[in-house]
Amino acid sequence: MNQKANITQSQKLMVFVLSMSLYGLATLFTELIPSFQVGIVEFSVEYFLFIPLTLAILFDPMSAALGAATGEIVFSEIMLGQFGGLGELEKFITLTIGIYVAGRLVKNPKNRKAVAAASIFGMILQQFMGCVVDILKVQLAVSDFEAVPGLPQSVFFTEGFAFLNDVLFSGILFCMLPTVFLVPRLYGKIEPLLGLKPRDEKNLPAGDAGMTAKAAAGAVIGFAAAVGAELLAESGMSLIDWEASWAESSTAFIVGIAAAAVLVILVCSRILKNSRRTEAVQGEM
Amino acid sequence: MKEKLSESIFDKISIDYIRNQVLKNAYGNDDTVIARLDPRVLLIWYCFFGIVPWFLDNVVLLICLFLFVAAAAYKAKIAPLVMFVFCLGVFSQTGYLLIVSLFFGGNAETIVPVLIMTLKVAIVSMASITVFSGLDPDRLANGLLWFGCPERLSFSISFAYRILPILMEEFQNILLSYRMRGKAPKKKGISGKIKYLIYQVKVIIQAFYPLLLNTAKRSRTTVEALELKGYRYAASNKEVKRMKLSSLKIVKHDFAFIAISVVWVFGSIGMSVTI
Repeated sequence: MNQKANITQSQKLMVFVLSMSLYGLATLFTELIPSFQVGIVEFSVEYFLFIPLTLAILFDPMSAALGAATGEIVFSEIMLGQFGGLGELEKFITLTIGIYVAGRLVKNPKNRKAVAAASIFGMILQQFMGCVVDILKVQLAVSDFEAVPGLPQSVFFTEGFAFLNDVLFSGILFCMLPTVFLVPRLYGKIEPLLGLKPRDEKNLPAGDAGMTAKAAAGAVIGFAAAVGAELLAESGMSLIDWEASWAESSTAFIVGIAAAAVLVILVCSRILKNSRRTEAVQGEM
Repeated sequence: MKEKLSESIFDKISIDYIRNQVLKNAYGNDDTVIARLDPRVLLIWYCFFGIVPWFLDNVVLLICLFLFVAAAAYKAKIAPLVMFVFCLGVFSQTGYLLIVSLFFGGNAETIVPVLIMTLKVAIVSMASITVFSGLDPDRLANGLLWFGCPERLSFSISFAYRILPILMEEFQNILLSYRMRGKAPKKKGISGKIKYLIYQVKVIIQAFYPLLLNTAKRSRTTVEALELKGYRYAASNKEVKRMKLSSLKIVKHDFAFIAISVVWVFGSIGMSVTI
């Protein structure tokens, strides 16, 4: 077996499935258990992030990261019927990047300091990207952002405070400490279960040691896409506001509804035609 | 008071309860009117009810649409827990605005815009609940696959619904065994409560250690079973996809649903214009 490509496609799928089901389970709980506040500091079990982080440090980082992001969408959004559409893409991408980068940073999982640093770095990265997206959203949504006195400061303050709060409390308590606890214990025990060799300096996941320029560039492009998707989702909202005045005239509105109905009928007829065609093909077979 | 409230919430939300609710939601309603519809029809229906309400500002029309979506959700037999999370979500988004505005000396006039906003959010999220949890997971996955979603996603949906009950049961067993072996601190006083909470969180985190190992074994079995059936080649093969999706058919039932929806929407428009 090649030394660098030491993980097969089916093992990648195993890591994906593992990360998806466990992180999905955890997010399902966090979705249902309310958070509680002590003064202004909000404690939430928001981050069971230690699960995908542990897996990313032990196995292939990309599969673990994608699995976690998919798991969150499937378990806590689709299963509970709270799918938010395009806005979910931002969470998906920032989560993937944060976990992936953390997983790539660790060369030797037995080194507790490296594990701690990588896990908190991944968490900070993910939170920071979310924070930047939030600030950009406000800045672009309010056109005369600078003109409103006190608004920039208040936005930066609240976002910055939320960021610090998340990193210092959720980050250390629910992300760094559990990861440091779990990684050395699982190291060497969980890999054979998937038929893999444990990770060490000679036996790193695909690619070179640590972060490469390519991985960093990929992360930056992904982040840009996340910002774009989120802003698109926002501008969709403002488009709706703009169109509300147009919708006030009832004739235009009825025309719109009729157009939508025609569209629905067209799509349905296409589905029908397709299914007839498949039936015909099956009849021939 | 607050502590009492949170305690009673925690009593309600035991793992058993969550598991039953999710199971009920996933498998308990195969025989409903909504679940028998073609998933593609429902997804298009969702596109309409998920987007159009944002463009509307007429209270009567919105209330009519809300009633229709609520009837659909009722017909889909959504589990109570999911409904509760939904109500909490709607309330946290707009409902509290109503209370705050009333508190600051608002009157009937302030209610109308908040009501419009609440109705919009309620219609959109209720439609999404109806579609995503009213449908059988396999049919939902097939419907998404037909619209060109990645195979990975539809696989994840089908797999998630099957693995979740097993995972929850296992997690609960591990938690219980930890509790049997360990000695929980007393819950008296503020410091006792904090110690108890820390103990709980610690047990939950430690419970993930055996869970990770067990799930790793299980996911290897799953993937090997998939590989035996040629899953990875099948996922990228167009012929296989066509065969898989050939079970989707639009029948009379679907047309009736479409007709009722269209008639209801036009009827509501007519009503809102006349009033």
